[in-house]
Amino acid sequence: MIEPLPPRPEPRRQWYRRLRDRLATLLITAGGVGVVVAVLAIGVFLALEVAPLFLGAEASVGWRELWQGRWQPGTLPGEAPAYGMLPLAWGTLKAAFWALLFAIPLALGAAIHSALYMPPRLRSRLKPTLEMMEAMPGVVVGFVAGLVLAPWVERHLAGALALALLLPAGMLLAGLAWTWLPPGLRRRLAPGWAGLWLMPWLALLAALSLWLSPALEALLFGGDLRHWLDARFGLDYAARNALIVGLAMGFAVIPGIYALAEDALTGVPASLGEGAQALGATRWQSLWRVVLPAAAPGVFSAVMIGAGRAVGETMIVLMASGNTALMTLSPLEGMRSMSATIAIELPEAVPGGVHYRLLFLAALALFAFTFLVNTLAELVRSRLRRRYRRLGAAS
Amino acid sequence: MMRAGWARLPRGEGPWPWLAAGSVALSLLMFSGLVLLLAVRGLGHFWPAPLSLVALEDGRLLAGQAVREERRADGAGRERLYLTANRDLDGAIWTWVDLEEIAAESRPRDLVVLERTRWGSFQGRLLALEEERGRVEGEAAWQALEARLDELQALRRERLRDQVVVPLVRRLERETSEALVAELGAANARIRELQARMGGTRLLLESVDGRQLEQPLEQVLRAWRPNAMSTPQKLAAWGQGVWRFLSEGPRAANTAGGVWPAIFGTVLMVLLMSVVVTPFGVLAGIYLNEVAHQGRFTRLVRIAVRNLAGVPSIVYGVFGLGVFVYGIGGTLDEWFFADRLPSPTFGTGGLLWASLTLALLTLPVVIVATEEGLARVPDHQREGALALGATRVEMLTRVVLPMTTPAMLTGVILAIARAAGEVAPLMLVGVAKLAPQVPVDGEFPFLHLEQKFMHLGYHIYDVAFHGGDVEAALPLVYATALLLVLVILVLNLTAIFLRHHLRARHGVLPRR
Amino acid sequence: MSVFPSPRPAAGGPIIDFEPAASCLEVEGLSLAYGETLALRDLSLRVPRQRVTAFIGPSGCGKSTLLRALNRLHDLNDEVRLSGRILLEGQDIHAPEVEVAELRRRVGMVFQAPNPFPMSIYDNVAFGLRLQGGIRKRQMDDIVEWALQSAALWDEVKERLGSSAWTLSGGQQQRLVIARTLAVRPEVLLLDEPASALDPISTLKIEELIRNLKSQLTLVLVTHNMQQAARVSDYTAFLQEGELVEYGPTDSLFTNPRLVRTENYITGRMG
Repeated sequence: MIEPLPPRPEPRRQWYRRLRDRLATLLITAGGVGVVVAVLAIGVFLALEVAPLFLGAEASVGWRELWQGRWQPGTLPGEAPAYGMLPLAWGTLKAAFWALLFAIPLALGAAIHSALYMPPRLRSRLKPTLEMMEAMPGVVVGFVAGLVLAPWVERHLAGALALALLLPAGMLLAGLAWTWLPPGLRRRLAPGWAGLWLMPWLALLAALSLWLSPALEALLFGGDLRHWLDARFGLDYAARNALIVGLAMGFAVIPGIYALAEDALTGVPASLGEGAQALGATRWQSLWRVVLPAAAPGVFSAVMIGAGRAVGETMIVLMASGNTALMTLSPLEGMRSMSATIAIELPEAVPGGVHYRLLFLAALALFAFTFLVNTLAELVRSRLRRRYRRLGAAS
Repeated sequence: MMRAGWARLPRGEGPWPWLAAGSVALSLLMFSGLVLLLAVRGLGHFWPAPLSLVALEDGRLLAGQAVREERRADGAGRERLYLTANRDLDGAIWTWVDLEEIAAESRPRDLVVLERTRWGSFQGRLLALEEERGRVEGEAAWQALEARLDELQALRRERLRDQVVVPLVRRLERETSEALVAELGAANARIRELQARMGGTRLLLESVDGRQLEQPLEQVLRAWRPNAMSTPQKLAAWGQGVWRFLSEGPRAANTAGGVWPAIFGTVLMVLLMSVVVTPFGVLAGIYLNEVAHQGRFTRLVRIAVRNLAGVPSIVYGVFGLGVFVYGIGGTLDEWFFADRLPSPTFGTGGLLWASLTLALLTLPVVIVATEEGLARVPDHQREGALALGATRVEMLTRVVLPMTTPAMLTGVILAIARAAGEVAPLMLVGVAKLAPQVPVDGEFPFLHLEQKFMHLGYHIYDVAFHGGDVEAALPLVYATALLLVLVILVLNLTAIFLRHHLRARHGVLPRR
Repeated sequence: MSVFPSPRPAAGGPIIDFEPAASCLEVEGLSLAYGETLALRDLSLRVPRQRVTAFIGPSGCGKSTLLRALNRLHDLNDEVRLSGRILLEGQDIHAPEVEVAELRRRVGMVFQAPNPFPMSIYDNVAFGLRLQGGIRKRQMDDIVEWALQSAALWDEVKERLGSSAWTLSGGQQQRLVIARTLAVRPEVLLLDEPASALDPISTLKIEELIRNLKSQLTLVLVTHNMQQAARVSDYTAFLQEGELVEYGPTDSLFTNPRLVRTENYITGRMG
């Protein structure tokens, strides 16, 4: 066996390698720092653009004026512009509220079901499916909500409302029926797979309630629910309203909340829940008393991130809300959110004018809100991760 | 009774688990329902729908495609919406008909549908085809029409005006040469000749209620007799329809034609974006994970970058408008394009600014994916390389980065999927309602970064909300939405597959 | 000049029963801290050339830390601070003119868990040589064969040099890592519990390999397995709580320890 000579370090090559290392490190550092600075500069830039509004002599607006209840940025001749941001803020929060009202129960229910009952193989299929649901572009969801769902609900309001009652009832009924099944069939329809085999049943129920709805409407509301609502409660009905926005944006927000909440629930050390079950608690009881309290911060941060998404979403609100700057509580009327206002009005606003800067202020508000909410959620989550590690280590 | 029922559950779980299971079912149902709706309505539009001849009680006749049925506003009975076309005869293309008023409905095989460049389509009968050589009637007229249309198709393909004449004129604006003038003259002569050949032929048409009109053949794009088509023929027509949708530009205020410029614009913008976002995102990820001092500050920066992924896209649009369009673009205009002011060149939304804005928007996605990929490479791999005398950069390029490539690719794909579906920022930094020209042509510098472009997502918004006749535009919006969703789902599936593959291959635990 | 406030003086100081004639590595007054935790305290010893020296001691005594300091792997970690000197063939390895990449080539290291790169067996062995550059294909083939022979792996893999290194068994992987390190001709080979993740037969093979290699280079072995230290090493250093306790020829240290702490550890009364 020939023993090779030890490599002689060639000074030129060593020098070249060292140079290359230094240069590449420099490049990475410059690129990395540059990118990070550029990305973080967004907030600073927005603030700089907004500042003249309060500091400069010209193109400034009083703090008081911003809190008016009227947004009319002076497009009509002869009319004094009104710069009250309140209706926009109201519209944003109203849309987010209805979206979360719809999304939170569904997302948390789905997270609980998949974390506690689903077989792991099914769960590993469900997660990417819902991930794709999240990837649905807002413009498509908005289009379906604004042009398909809104006119449809307008025509079938009673049926749509009946659905809201019938679907949960149908789920419970399915559960009750399941306990009466013969054991053989019950094994085949495992509760862990209920997320799948309930689908046709729910679809059937939906069809049923739509089929029944004209009769229902005739029986209870004198044939026309919208008319009845107007006569009885004085409620106006706008085709593109908060309910539609809530439904569509809820659809968009569910997957995000689900993914984080599910992570939090499955992250709870198994020993905790099993300990409770060993003491005779049912799975649901152990969830309620042990697992959920342990995972509460994670679930909370999931909801926060969902709220951030709902507040900033533009296309869905733009296309499904009617964009009227109203300040009403009624879920059956439209609203105008900050993000939609920016999208509609900013291209026409004169750069440097009051209107332009006010829209930047709206953007800054959105930025600050979502950034804070996300940071808070991230902090809560990292604290939770540390706690799980401790709990996991202790057991 | 209820209690007893619940108690018989294996562990006496109570009603709540069923609500939880139901939420999974309901979420999946909504998702699949949405995709199904888009698929059925989007693809169904291209299927040649049967054309009904409807005789009403009062003796009127109409030919139309049934679109949908609804309960009447007063609650008594139902009515049906027909697409009756013939805007030049009736002034409208829709007709609502009470179901009770319908006396008879039939599907005669001789009803034709003509797709025209003006006035939308025609539905009725073909009486005769007239040209200089003579006149044919009846069934022979239909066969002659089909032959002429094929000929016309071949002529149209030459596209003399766009491909030869327009570039020649542009060149002539800059230089004058005898040869060019002669070439232009020849091309113009050829166009006139073709126009003469196309303009000579006329169709004599009759609507089902007996009104006649003459139709120049050159305005006819396509003709078919839906009731006389066999299923394979319909299938072929369907395939052609889909292909035309993908390959042609929009016509008739976006209510007809295809979305090719929007596809092209979207793809081009996304490509430009990924060219920008990939190197910077990867550099930033490597910096944060491999080079930066791992202290409290880096941890804060990392959280901040992650949170930027949650900042609404419209805010990035505002930033892009303020910094790129008005800031950098305005300055560029002052320096280089002062002669064109006040009409802006770069100082308005355009391809470049849109790509940059979306690159900024998707940077966090790429950074986070790169970081996760790097974190998944075990430290002992790094130490192994260093212990053999590798410098840090050699360690990165030869061991760590090859292991991280799938993760980075996943990040870029996710970024592309996100960017392709994002519309809100584009409304501020540069899409056009209608830009039949794509921002690439044979003229220097070939790629026109300052031009506006069409975008699939914005096209959906625009057609659905700013079009004149929403009902007519709806099928195309469905088709466009389906296309967009398909692209995004395929991209996401690829990313999911890659990530799964990656986990399965490395099978190592993340470092953090 | 120490960066540390005041290293606690060792109780009585270490017993160093041995002064090698030809030392390869010299450690002088080395202290090292991870953040606030002091891992090594004022440690000095000399490693003899072409012998096997073992570091033993209870978990967390600093033996791995010391080993990693010998080829400056701690440079990776921002939290590590260090004082004192380490001399390789008389030259301070922290001197500014020392190129850390070249130092690590001269002082090779094999880790606890086998860490072959995700590439072919051949490429794994050639990895370090390619970094140095200027080697032709024929020459490379020869060196790869020689390195695999030296690591007693050649016969098992010569038919499949192109297949992924991750298809090898754990013991084979560890010998591949040794071959990969030998290929760049280091002067010192540091082994950090090289057999702790392996089965007994693979362990025996590695130990035999270590004994064979000492004719070529200097070996430093960290192990928690005292039988292993006794079987393969010529000299043994016993560390405890970041301090050197006793250092001497393996035979005398194991049969006739001078300090009670050493004896307690060796006979298993603690740690």
